[in-house]
Amino acid sequence: MNWVDEAFGDPEFGEGRWYLNPKNHSRQMYKVKKPGEKPAAFGSDPEAQSGRKMGEIMQKRFTDPEEFEKLVKEANAMKEKSPFQIGQVIPLEEAKRVAELSYPVASMSCICRIGARGHEERNEHEYSCTGLGVGMLKWERWPERYKGGVNFMSPEETKEWLTKWNKKGMVHIIMTFGGSYVGGICNCDYPDCGMIRNRVDYGITPGCLKSPWVATVDFDDCNGCGVCVQRCQFGAIKFEVTTEKTNVDQFKCFGCGLCETACPTEAIDLLDRESLPALKEVW
Amino acid sequence: MAVPNFAAIDIDRSKCTIPFACKKCLTGCLQSVFSVSAIKVERGRETNPNEPGTYALHAPHRDKCTGCNDCIELCPEDAITVTFA
Repeated sequence: MNWVDEAFGDPEFGEGRWYLNPKNHSRQMYKVKKPGEKPAAFGSDPEAQSGRKMGEIMQKRFTDPEEFEKLVKEANAMKEKSPFQIGQVIPLEEAKRVAELSYPVASMSCICRIGARGHEERNEHEYSCTGLGVGMLKWERWPERYKGGVNFMSPEETKEWLTKWNKKGMVHIIMTFGGSYVGGICNCDYPDCGMIRNRVDYGITPGCLKSPWVATVDFDDCNGCGVCVQRCQFGAIKFEVTTEKTNVDQFKCFGCGLCETACPTEAIDLLDRESLPALKEVW
Repeated sequence: MAVPNFAAIDIDRSKCTIPFACKKCLTGCLQSVFSVSAIKVERGRETNPNEPGTYALHAPHRDKCTGCNDCIELCPEDAITVTFA
């Protein structure tokens, strides 16, 4: 259990994981706003969330690096109250479980790739981001405003679609959009993904928590082909010359499972993070 | 701790007018230092990327710039200057 599970999970559903808790996929969660009150500081308005304060912190890198490190530490410690959006890496199989829980599910263009690489995704064959929940109806209604609209998918289509992006080498990150509302499964890669970049380059943890899994290699089954080495976005895998096998640094592993889905000899497995005493608190 | 020697990246907006349509520096930078955003938004809608002045180029990750100067060579308008203190 990580802090998001403790805050938003329910032990009765989905092994206590926050993104498998049906309550976090329900309509009522989308806007938590009491009559006569302003929305809460974090997240209640999915569009206004995080942007400004996060920008202020990021600017400190250039003017006061010590202050920047201090602010990042503070923001990380704020957990679910952090100004940063909450996101967690999940393997393909869990992304598929989310596809069955959430409604409606739609593919849409990735905002990170537009900004970082000027990469436009204009139709359902190019869309690479998954939007979950009722917010997607708004995307459909005003396509010009939301950068190209959406393509609604059935759970089966979603699973196929997630598999397609997994094959290409994208990491699935499940995200909140407003409180604990599960609003998207992004298919991400470094460096254009803002969440992975914030974590890997700047140590900002809430937006890209590690998954509840950790990769492990069975040396008897590994034939040393090295396919998995190309897939790791987090620098956790290297080809070890001495043993002629793949080596996973489990402390660096984010548990995305990209190496597992690529392995032709099924030598890579995902272990439950909590089964490893040294890693169960490493999120 | 002193401020590290980050690159100062100056983008001449009078020369770089259609960054979203051009995107040579965006796709060509190894470190993905650059970012593009809409600056002209009409009633919530973004406007034509081929129209000068609708999008602006930034260098939000200039702390990751190594000073390889690839962007300077790629830029068709000579709009980018990279300097280290």
